[in-house]
Amino acid sequence: MIVSIIYLVLIVVSILLTVQSAHVLYLMLYTWDRADAERRARAPDEFLPPQISFSVLLPARHEEDVIQSTIERVVRANYPAELLEVFVICSQDDDGTIKKAEEKIDELKRKGLRNVRVVVFDDKPINKPHGLNTALPHTANQVVTIFDAEDDIHPEIFNLVNTVMVQEKVRVVQAGVQLMNYESNWYSTLNVLEYFFWFKSRLHYHAHYGSIPLGGNTVFFARELLLRLGGWDDRNLTEDADMGLRISAMGERVRVVYDDRYVTKEETPPTLGHFIRQRTRWSQGFMQTLKKGTWKKMPTRKQRWLAFYVLVFPRGQALLGIYLPISLGMILILKVPVLIALCSYLPVLLLAAHFLVQAVGLYEFTGAHGLEASPKAIVRMAIAWFPFQMVLAYAALRAMRREMLGRHDWEKTQHVGAHRATTEEAESRVG
Amino acid sequence: MSDNNTPSRPAAVGAEGRKTAADKNPAPSKKTAPDKTTAPTKKTTPDKTTAPTKKTTPDKTTAPTKKTTPDKTTAPTKSTTPTKKIAANKSTTPGKKTAPNKNPAPAKGTAAAKGAEAPARRPRRRPRFSVERGWFPPLGTKGRIALVASLLTGLLTHGYHLFRYPLYLTDEGIYMQRAWSLVRETSLSPYTYDYDHAPLGWITLAGWVYPLPKQFETFGNAINTGRFLMLLVHIASVYLLFEIARRLSGSVLAATVTSFLFNVSPIAVYFQRQVLLDNLMMLWLLLSLFMLLRREVTIRSVFGGGLALGIALITKENAIFFVPSFMYLLYRRVKGSASSRFTSTLWPFAAAAPIGAYVTYAVLKNELLPSGFDFDLNNPPADHVSLLYTLWWQLNRNQGTLFSHTGLLQTSWLVRDKFLLIAGVCAMVICLWIGLRDRKRNLGFLIAGTLALGYAFYLVRGSVVLDFYVTPLIPMLALNLGMVTDRLLKGTFANRFMRGAHSVTRVAVPSFVAILLLASPASGYLVHTNTEGHTQIADQYQSKINLTAMQHAQIAWVRKHVPPNSRIIMDDDLWGELHDVRPFYPYAHSHWNASSDPDVRDKLFRKKWQYVDYIIMSNKMRRSMMLNNGDGRENWILQALRNSTRVWSETRGNIKLEIYRVR
Repeated sequence: MIVSIIYLVLIVVSILLTVQSAHVLYLMLYTWDRADAERRARAPDEFLPPQISFSVLLPARHEEDVIQSTIERVVRANYPAELLEVFVICSQDDDGTIKKAEEKIDELKRKGLRNVRVVVFDDKPINKPHGLNTALPHTANQVVTIFDAEDDIHPEIFNLVNTVMVQEKVRVVQAGVQLMNYESNWYSTLNVLEYFFWFKSRLHYHAHYGSIPLGGNTVFFARELLLRLGGWDDRNLTEDADMGLRISAMGERVRVVYDDRYVTKEETPPTLGHFIRQRTRWSQGFMQTLKKGTWKKMPTRKQRWLAFYVLVFPRGQALLGIYLPISLGMILILKVPVLIALCSYLPVLLLAAHFLVQAVGLYEFTGAHGLEASPKAIVRMAIAWFPFQMVLAYAALRAMRREMLGRHDWEKTQHVGAHRATTEEAESRVG
Repeated sequence: MSDNNTPSRPAAVGAEGRKTAADKNPAPSKKTAPDKTTAPTKKTTPDKTTAPTKKTTPDKTTAPTKKTTPDKTTAPTKSTTPTKKIAANKSTTPGKKTAPNKNPAPAKGTAAAKGAEAPARRPRRRPRFSVERGWFPPLGTKGRIALVASLLTGLLTHGYHLFRYPLYLTDEGIYMQRAWSLVRETSLSPYTYDYDHAPLGWITLAGWVYPLPKQFETFGNAINTGRFLMLLVHIASVYLLFEIARRLSGSVLAATVTSFLFNVSPIAVYFQRQVLLDNLMMLWLLLSLFMLLRREVTIRSVFGGGLALGIALITKENAIFFVPSFMYLLYRRVKGSASSRFTSTLWPFAAAAPIGAYVTYAVLKNELLPSGFDFDLNNPPADHVSLLYTLWWQLNRNQGTLFSHTGLLQTSWLVRDKFLLIAGVCAMVICLWIGLRDRKRNLGFLIAGTLALGYAFYLVRGSVVLDFYVTPLIPMLALNLGMVTDRLLKGTFANRFMRGAHSVTRVAVPSFVAILLLASPASGYLVHTNTEGHTQIADQYQSKINLTAMQHAQIAWVRKHVPPNSRIIMDDDLWGELHDVRPFYPYAHSHWNASSDPDVRDKLFRKKWQYVDYIIMSNKMRRSMMLNNGDGRENWILQALRNSTRVWSETRGNIKLEIYRVR
């Protein structure tokens, strides 16, 4: 009796897992699979003259090392200075960053650029959404955008978004964000590829069906839209995803642009600890958003389902982390009938397909960014594959535990600028 | 990337194409000339691979010299847009992927071509055609009629008389017996499954039988039930083959001719009615090919195509001989597309997945490797069967007698349909020649030719060939014939009268040949000359002939006179009848198993003729017993036969069925 229940569970879970990972695989390849999706994903080849004015929000916490160059990058973007204003957002206790930012502002003033300001907040909670909400009333331009302190933005990004917004009459644009340092450490390749598939392919699917968890930066909103929504949810750990779903629930169309040429470049978290903390935050944020129930307010069932599917994923991942070792153990220890064993071979097959797609994705990624993938990177990826999945599962479990304990504080990711080195190297190689 | 730019192409090519059509004399290989390429492009660069932007440029430059208005009229509209725009990023990015980055001019060109598309399209232009790009002409009304006619023909030729002709064959019995074992015993074979074939074929049969109301007896007996599935498989295959032929050739005529032969050829009717793994394999194979011939090559369709190929491979392994053509077709279709990296890796992966399942099955049963890693062919491992050992054994089987006077070619295949085989092989050679002469344009011919060639190579390479091994060659030869027919009858004429006459010819000539085939007794398509020299309806449709009725009579006698607990030696085609219909005959076994399976041979019969009660025979079985007796394994059965008396027999033509009681 117990044995047959175990078998039944094995079969059901195997089939569910297979279906689920096949679907994820499909989402990963969505843009490549459809010529029209690929066409729509690309940036326009020619830009319209600057027309829209932008307010750039730069939330920063303990970013002394990188904040100056980030400010520099934003103001030096190829867009008229009178149509740009920049807000560096810091909490009051973060003297280092404030000091560095003000240094930079003074330097820019000497050069005649007066469109950068520092906004300081002193109330709790100290987190990104709260900072953004503090700065929002100060903004005056038509479109509000967010960049993270460590972002390497593309100089043409404003031209690009200006063109898209004017031509397509959209009020929300999510442009591509890409981790670059795929050779930094054992998990960075897989992490980079996650971003690659997420922004290049999957987000387009979500946008198409009107149920999209937005990214945390390089995202552009019409200011009045943000005001109407009342800003960000500052108790949510993934305020960006939450914002995306709220916007989707309003029926607002979100345009996703991922063009390899114009992505915002970022870096993977420097240590495993940081990586796990970042993942925990994301997973927990998704759990919060799920609980909050914005997704239930979406107009169509398809949208609700898609949002639910995204938000519930971390829980699934946690369960998967528990299930995988158990099922492996059972297959090895229990002598299951051949048919059931074959059935549990299905998810393994899909796992192999995922790996294959990621390996190919590495070549796509490096090809698109003028880098060169080596077979060594593939081997490293293969070795890191399983531990990486386990780390993700661990982070998901950790998030679950935190959520149950009611701990909602923000575990920040540290940035050291590893991607900048990669980029420069790449540029020199291309040039 | 190429997908995005396709719209720009027709205008450019169309404009050039018209010019050359006027310049050149109508040649036999006509259609392609105006449609696709022009004299200059033909000689110079591979026009298909060049970037679209390149192509539009010459078009623009030639526009002024020619008097064509459309290009000119669009020029202003085109130029207005760019002036409004600022010159987009000229430098800065490491992205070296897109051309517009470096040089804004071509981008303008594309825009121009897009604008020019509408006015440049001419009304009476034959649809453009390219296998590589998926530019297939639409099916149209004529095509629809031809397709429906083909499907109905297939239903008629294969459905009519299905249960009466041909005689139930040993192999049909074996597959149904294994399907029976799956349904009734949840096992791949009632005997030891020794990996002689991958099992998906009879898994499919079992899946078909299982939900039927009376399961194996739904259509009378097990083999009939299997044959009904073959009918459905044939109808589906006709649709696929029709579309494949149409897409490879761009012509409904080719598709119609192909389907006609596939439906009506006597050799096709003979083998495709039988419950054979090859028929199931062919369905999957055609599906896989069809998936690669979709208008747009998406990752999903390629993945599906790979999966279908993998399924074909574990239905019957000989599908492997078609794989090279498939690979080439895939390569040509995905080359240069944005998703080519993914498609070209996921296709083999998908194809390998079902094979992986098969191998995993063997691993789980610990039957992948022979015990002790012993691949000695003279000394088969005794303790357990092994996938790899069987594979090795099959690769080393040699019996190259295909071309001899007693070979299958002379005694069976050519007898059944000379026309299809001889003309088909000639067509294959022509297809290969056309295809190799211009691989760029004649991809369809190359694919059709190599598909047939690959399988023909398998047949002639000198390994064991059984009668029905020719089955997968039939659709391929039909395809080649269809494509060559279309090519030979192709032509374009400026003169309207000639054009009318030509289109009549295109229908009349093939129709005439078809009528000739159907009316001539020598072909055996519809009528044949019987042994007494009279012309009559061919066997496959002859209502007076009911071959399987003899087998029914044989079974009826057994049921009436033989007690169910008798130990019987028989042929596999009776298996379902004796094991699935009450009263069961649990001790009835085929001579193949009785002579080789240790369980049956040593435990039930103990290798002694005295332990046999009855032998249910056909002259065919007698022959295969002799052939199978190289090492004397059937001696004790033959001895039983010598010590027996005939209690029943029936003869018709060269078929003789008997029942012996052993003393």
